[in-house]
Amino acid sequence: MKELEQLKQELKKINIEAAGVKNLPVEKRAEFGRKINQKKQELLSKIAVAEKALLDVEVEPIDVTAWSGVNEKMPEFYPTELGSKHPLMSEIDHVVEIYQMMGFDVMESRQLDDEFHMFDSLNFAKEHPARDGYDTFRTEEGLIPPAHTSTMEHRALKKFKYKLERGEPIAVVIPGRVYRNEDVDATHEHTFYQCEGMFVSKDCTLGNMLGVLREFFERYYEQKLEIRTQPGYFPFTEPSVELLIEKPKALGGKKGDWLEMLGCGMTHPNVLKMAGIDPTVYHGFAWGGGIERLVLLKYALGDIRFFESGNLNFLREFN
Amino acid sequence: MRISLNWLKKYVKIPVSNDELVRLIGARLVEVEEVIDETHKYDNIFIVKVEHAEKIPDTHLTLCKINVGNIEIPKVEKDADGLVQVMCGAPNVHECMMAAWIAPGAIVPASIHEDAPFVIGKRTMLKKYESNGMLAAADELDLGDDHEGIIEIEPDTAKPGMRFADVFELNDLILDIENKSLTHRPDTFGLIGFAREVAGILGKQFECENIGNDLSVDNSIEIEIKEENICERYTALVLKKHGEIKKKYFTWMDTILAKSGMRPVDPIVDATNYLMLLTGQPLHAFDYDKFIKVGKSDKPKIIVRLARKGEKLTLLDDKEVILNENDILITSNDVPVAMAGAMGGKSTMIDENTKNIILESATFSLYNLRKTQMAHGIFSEAITRFTKGQPPYQTMRVAEACAEMLKEGFKVSAVADAYPVPPKNNVVKITTYEINNLLGTKYNKDLIVKTLKNVNFEVDVDGDNLEVMAPEWRTDIYIKEDIIEEVGRLLGYDNIEPVLPLHLTAEKNPILEMKQKIREIMARFGANEVLTYSFVSGKLLEKVGQDSKNSYRIINSISPELQYVRQSIVPSLLDKTYVNEKLPVERFAIYEMNDVYRKDLGMTDENVPVEKFSLGLVVAERKNDETAFYKAKKYVAKLFEELNVEVEFLPISNKAKQVEEKPFEPKRSAEIFIGDEYIGIVGEFRNSVKAEFKLAPYVAGFEIDMEILFKHMSKDKKIKLGSKKKEDLTVTTDKSYAETLKQVQKQNPGAQITPGTIYQAEGQKSKNITFHITK
Repeated sequence: MKELEQLKQELKKINIEAAGVKNLPVEKRAEFGRKINQKKQELLSKIAVAEKALLDVEVEPIDVTAWSGVNEKMPEFYPTELGSKHPLMSEIDHVVEIYQMMGFDVMESRQLDDEFHMFDSLNFAKEHPARDGYDTFRTEEGLIPPAHTSTMEHRALKKFKYKLERGEPIAVVIPGRVYRNEDVDATHEHTFYQCEGMFVSKDCTLGNMLGVLREFFERYYEQKLEIRTQPGYFPFTEPSVELLIEKPKALGGKKGDWLEMLGCGMTHPNVLKMAGIDPTVYHGFAWGGGIERLVLLKYALGDIRFFESGNLNFLREFN
Repeated sequence: MRISLNWLKKYVKIPVSNDELVRLIGARLVEVEEVIDETHKYDNIFIVKVEHAEKIPDTHLTLCKINVGNIEIPKVEKDADGLVQVMCGAPNVHECMMAAWIAPGAIVPASIHEDAPFVIGKRTMLKKYESNGMLAAADELDLGDDHEGIIEIEPDTAKPGMRFADVFELNDLILDIENKSLTHRPDTFGLIGFAREVAGILGKQFECENIGNDLSVDNSIEIEIKEENICERYTALVLKKHGEIKKKYFTWMDTILAKSGMRPVDPIVDATNYLMLLTGQPLHAFDYDKFIKVGKSDKPKIIVRLARKGEKLTLLDDKEVILNENDILITSNDVPVAMAGAMGGKSTMIDENTKNIILESATFSLYNLRKTQMAHGIFSEAITRFTKGQPPYQTMRVAEACAEMLKEGFKVSAVADAYPVPPKNNVVKITTYEINNLLGTKYNKDLIVKTLKNVNFEVDVDGDNLEVMAPEWRTDIYIKEDIIEEVGRLLGYDNIEPVLPLHLTAEKNPILEMKQKIREIMARFGANEVLTYSFVSGKLLEKVGQDSKNSYRIINSISPELQYVRQSIVPSLLDKTYVNEKLPVERFAIYEMNDVYRKDLGMTDENVPVEKFSLGLVVAERKNDETAFYKAKKYVAKLFEELNVEVEFLPISNKAKQVEEKPFEPKRSAEIFIGDEYIGIVGEFRNSVKAEFKLAPYVAGFEIDMEILFKHMSKDKKIKLGSKKKEDLTVTTDKSYAETLKQVQKQNPGAQITPGTIYQAEGQKSKNITFHITK
């Protein structure tokens, strides 16, 4: 309180001092004005801080051990009809549940990672232009908010390597939040969700990969589906493939309609090697696809920006 | 990249329909973004001969009588000689020339993609001259930028009345290729390489036409590559001028340039561009005489080196660039004359007076060029090819092919080639078993060998062992998987039968289950799950009193709004509280479960930041004058109860200590403990925070550590059986609720006590606290 008064007094003084500028010779006015203005700005920001602090001083304490305010009703929850789960989270739960029924373990992805996991461990050559393709954000320290859930592949391989030693395959899916330095519009978000999948065993094949993915989409859309592929390029898989599925009936699909669903491929031997798995004994496959797309298709939504908007008029539709 | 199917068909026989071809290319080579149908773009455009051309005085117009052969167009009259009258404004129209006539009723090709394509008709010009259709310039045909004059067609190649599209093979499909999916295949950025792959996926042997020849090197000009790894090979030919190349006629090559998305310019540039499109190898022409003048040498001395700090160069487009230390330069005796692979310099550019040429055919480090491309924003066809890593094997041959195309005006007078370390052809040893074992196929050896040989791999067969040698343009083949990919792809992944692996069993992920359970509980409680960005503004951190120095800062953020990694969840929710009160939503509880990162949390064993898994919630109402704290407390307390975790709410002694507590008002908040372990805070927000976020007075929230919660939660719900006796007890006191409760508990050992209302009469100091007691 006192401090604020003092500061205000000082401000008055400075204002008076500033008025003296007209008594100075012209050539000295600019320098004088600059100095006095700087002082004034410093003072003003101090006053703002003090005023803010003052707001927080005049606070009535309450009994935080009680369950209701004095002379107030007991608080109630809002009605269940108003409650909702985020559609992306529900979708991840649903996707993960299907993979779990198919025998896949689940682990979650990090949201701040490093160059090693994001690129090096995935067989991206140092400084390779392919790294630019991911439009990554970076922190001052060189950390990376990951641009794909593949950032977890190395960790997943190390974590579940014991299974190979027991003669079981590694089978894991990894949902998570990822980031790309992209301008936001109806079809692009800088923040979105992916689900990674990995399978490693002594004898798995590209045919197995297609089998697993077709099975997943058939369970997800609850119908038999045709699948199709396109060659792709990812440094961490070889061969690399883009998977398309026939557009399901539930989405109004007609014959000849295809949906690009995800990128996949046989895990590059260097990726296995770096995680301490002998690529001459084991091979694997991996895939990664977006979650938003599944939800947009499911509800025929046209704008990806709803998801992170926090807008309850949208979110309360999902209860 | 654009590929003309008609051009492609010159290099590979295609026995399948266009639709099937496009499907196969999509399935086995590259994503086709779009098929541009140009099969009707040039309908009703004909080759004609200008029989009479009469200048109309004081105008730019010429009255022409044209021979249109047998063509009959409705409403177009022919005169007694069978000629059609058309007015032409081009200065180059002359008698006996062959031209392209856009007949009345035809769409002007350049306008074909406009909303209202321009249909040419019959017009009366200068009030008395009838004009039927038009004689076309290159730009109107969408085959060039030239509008100076109409195109002239070589008389020997066509007759009046022939369809323009037939003569120049313009009834075409253009494939628009997604470049990204060929990042690793520089060889397919030339038509020949693309055609080779098409042959491969059709199961046909590709017969390679030899483009150009190797010349014997005389090294009469000097080439020096200063740094290792910036330039794998630099070939230079000197072309001496001995005659004029007359660019008179419109050619088929012009159409190829146009269909590939480029434009005809002049004979030298067109030849280099055409060869680049054909082979993938970019070329650059320097003016020889300017080159030696700039370098102050009597003979060209080409030095390839990295730029020095602050060095400048004025480019062909007149822009002066300040070079970076990773830009590769072509210099004339150390004076920069071109930004290698990106753009030539102005000081050595060729022009109409150019006598002699230095023709450059080289490859450069894709890493450096990638940086150059990004730093200077240059996205030419040439640099697109260089940044894929063009192989060095063909630089000399392509340069020679270019000299051959220009032989009418130039002849080769010097050949220099700097090729320090020619790459070895990669050999991969593999078995048919290994191939089938990874793909899940049963391809026999002969099929595998044929498939590889079709695209010019050499294969030595010894039983089931294959020794595969990659052709010189395949610089991406090193390991077995590379060969397996070739076989799988060329034979079609779609021919591989999808088979499920053996049945597996999964382990549960208890953290995920906890999250799912919390979602169920919170939805039941009428709360809404939101997701908000992990990045926040410095302003937001300041508003809640969190120190931005404790946040990881994004150096390439999209906007100041997204500059810092958030330190806790609640501040983001306060932002969304404002958004929703504005909508308006009358009352709500929004929550988010997510990871947060802060510098003070330190690093893990992997040397990445420790992550904190946090749950934040905010309740808010636009109109309510009760105490919001108790609503938030109810939410968090009941959540703990559902998860069978016993917690205690303790008043905050002085200032909030934890980072997530910063927005909270200590006098109206409680710290939450499980035994001695702090788990989070519930409370109202500081008045200054409410003011900063412009929130209605009724607002409170909590933030708790989910990992601690997880550690303590138990799945087993305690179920109490037996008869229950309920009674209410009201105590008059001026102590706090907790202190009063302790007393009541002492008096009613073993009873379950739940809180009732608190009443305080006006002017009274003591309150009446009611308890519900179940014994």
